[in-house]
Amino acid sequence: MAGLQYTLNRILLMIPTFLLVMIIIFLLVRLLPGDPAIAIAGDKASDADIAAIRERLGLNAPLWTQFWLFLTNTLQGDLGRSILLRAPVTEVILARLPTTIFLTLYAVTLSILIAGPLAFVAALNRGKWQDNLIRAVFQVGLSMPVFYIGLLLLTFLAAQLRMFPVGGYGETFLDRAYHLFLPAVTVALYTSAILMRNLRSAIIEVLDAEYVQFARAKGLPPRLILGRHVLKNALVSTVTLLGLSIGQLMSGTLVTETVFAVPGVGRMMLEAIFARDYPLIQGLTLTFAVLVSLVFLMTDIFQSWLDPRMRLS
Amino acid sequence: MKAAALALALATSTALGAFTIGFADAQERGGTLNFARYDGSKLVDPIYADRNPDIWMVGSLFSTLLAPTEDGTDLVGSLAESFEVSSDGKTVSLVLRDGLKFSDGSPLTGDDVVFSLERARNPDLGPWSGLLSAVSSVSADGRDITISLETPDPALLSMLATFNTAIVSKKAFDAAPGANDQEKSAAIFAAGGPGVGSGPFYLSGFEQGSSMTFTANPHYWKEGKDGKPLPYLEKVHFEIIPDDATRVLKLTAGEVDIAEFIPFSRVAELDADPAVDMNLFPSTRIIYSPINTRETRADGTPNPLHDKRVRQALNYATNKEALIGLVLQGAGKPMSSPVMSSSTRLAADMNPLYGYDIEKAKALVAEAGLKPGTEITLTTLAGSADDGTIFAALQQMWAPLGINLVAEQVDNATRGAKNRSGEFDIHTYGWVDDVNDPSQVTGWLGYFPTAKAVGTGWNNADFNTLYEASSSEMDPEKRADQYRKMQDIYAEAAPLLFMYETPFAVAVSGKVDGYLQTPLGNNVFENVSLER
Repeated sequence: MAGLQYTLNRILLMIPTFLLVMIIIFLLVRLLPGDPAIAIAGDKASDADIAAIRERLGLNAPLWTQFWLFLTNTLQGDLGRSILLRAPVTEVILARLPTTIFLTLYAVTLSILIAGPLAFVAALNRGKWQDNLIRAVFQVGLSMPVFYIGLLLLTFLAAQLRMFPVGGYGETFLDRAYHLFLPAVTVALYTSAILMRNLRSAIIEVLDAEYVQFARAKGLPPRLILGRHVLKNALVSTVTLLGLSIGQLMSGTLVTETVFAVPGVGRMMLEAIFARDYPLIQGLTLTFAVLVSLVFLMTDIFQSWLDPRMRLS
Repeated sequence: MKAAALALALATSTALGAFTIGFADAQERGGTLNFARYDGSKLVDPIYADRNPDIWMVGSLFSTLLAPTEDGTDLVGSLAESFEVSSDGKTVSLVLRDGLKFSDGSPLTGDDVVFSLERARNPDLGPWSGLLSAVSSVSADGRDITISLETPDPALLSMLATFNTAIVSKKAFDAAPGANDQEKSAAIFAAGGPGVGSGPFYLSGFEQGSSMTFTANPHYWKEGKDGKPLPYLEKVHFEIIPDDATRVLKLTAGEVDIAEFIPFSRVAELDADPAVDMNLFPSTRIIYSPINTRETRADGTPNPLHDKRVRQALNYATNKEALIGLVLQGAGKPMSSPVMSSSTRLAADMNPLYGYDIEKAKALVAEAGLKPGTEITLTTLAGSADDGTIFAALQQMWAPLGINLVAEQVDNATRGAKNRSGEFDIHTYGWVDDVNDPSQVTGWLGYFPTAKAVGTGWNNADFNTLYEASSSEMDPEKRADQYRKMQDIYAEAAPLLFMYETPFAVAVSGKVDGYLQTPLGNNVFENVSLER
């Protein structure tokens, strides 16, 4: 019952968050220098053409009128028409969102698969060569920019060894997993480095905890101690970090999707910003906000399952 | 003797015939060409195409009445088999080819031509209607088309060879869903398929921002070398790859056959690759920097660049060859006409246009009384390596004049807004002609009413009068003379930093033959074949 109440409270808290996000999005987009009418008309358009476009887009209306229109339309599910793509924003986002979600989940899965086992190996061999080697390798991953790692992987694994395609995103599930492997690994290398360091520290901390020492003293087998007591408790902080990382991963798709020619919403966001496509920027930012909020919600729920004290607080 | 000669002639003609048939049989047909583009099309419709990625694809889906010759200096019939202009210059008569069809096999008639041209000149629709502003009416009688003009327009024939006057199917538009022309156009593009155009291909696949596919039009009117209808290819598949390095990797990995907009820093490396044919297609692309010529800056302070001598000094102090070496790795040439590329018709050859002369530049700034340490801002594109190089070079080149050049980095939309409002000293810019006539670029760069002479604020009555007169001058010699005078005035006033012309750098796999990018930028696939 406490769990259900906690979940409902978290969902209700999302309403003011979204309202605040909408106000910020609306104002931020309009704070950008540059006129969308010029971006649409192009450099070669006459002043009269630009004035006509401003009028047509309603950009001459007072700011509060524009905001009220944005708010009421959004609440009705209408995010407007993209200036750049000349199509409903909802339609163009929904067409490209699955690719970005797939890429993000793929990268998260790879991050967990890489970070989890290595964190255990490093923690259980604290101070030994295995620990030092793992930490040194991940330090390199952390210190290189994502786009540089991406280009290196593309050059060697795709262009030279021809093991993976240079770009694209495939048709079927397996084909897509194959096409998106390099972009997912690129992102995962960075995220897994952060996760591995955190999980390693958490495991070391839990291994020193009194209840683990008590379990050892009771003679419980090491596998049971690690699975039941160490992992569950060490995961509490790592899950929070994972939630934050997913938000970061989504914003990281702006770079990854451009380098790997993946047609997702990250690349679309860049195009929208350069074209000053107000409706599309607003729609995409709102989509990112909703997705990140949902990830945080799930993180909180999962954490409350790992640590029941959270529900009471 | 006569019989022997006849036998020899017969033998020769038979051998030649066999050779010709052999040659024709050797023509490769079919296959899919994979093309890596820097940006995707949004809507390929003759009158709504307003970005280069759209404009440059119109010719693949739609045919125009006329077409430029391969060297771009003259016009030939395309859908029209003949054309003539009346002696008073106020009537253009054209005759359509017999048996023309759209890509679905439906006939292309005079009604479609009237519909298309009325659409193209409707100021409530696309942004290019001004190009047909002299037209008063268009009518058709069978295959005969008559275009009446209010005033003679020397550029009209060129406009009939331009993307915005390409012919669309009236029937397709009548049948398309939508409340107005814009919605119908968008619906036709979204649905794809044959029927709306009569170009060498029709749109058969489109994923916004990701890919686009063209399929051969079986009813295209033009014939190939083998006597069969063009195009040779079965399909063209475009992948949108904005990142330069990834486009090159896709080509070298064999995943695409052509990669466009190759960075000039990679040209030499690709040129050395035996599997790649590195093309530098001549273009009408010019890189220049508008100079704010207003008396005061936007903040109200005196503008040192208002003085013509300072602007001339900046031009003399700029070593264009050095810039070309730094930015284009040598793959370019200095501007030789002040208002257009050397490949645009009526371009004056003023080479060297402000050749490097630092002593002359110093004398000019001294004469103008420019204070040492004067700060001038160069507005550049954020993230552009080329602009960064230009800034660093100009900063050094202009230092001997006592100019302290500072950079201001902005994105493209902001740069455009600053150009319109005059809130800049100098900023980087570029241009590619859209029409095969000098009036567009000259109007943009110099004619004040169009766009304040590319935002410089330069307003010269003589130039403006000449431009207006040239817009209805039908005598080619007189028009050429007007253009020569305009270029002289413009060069003397120097409202720009005249920089360089660049080619279109396109890397093509060795198995591709016949690809062309025209000086206007149009991608031409109709003669492309793939070695199999």
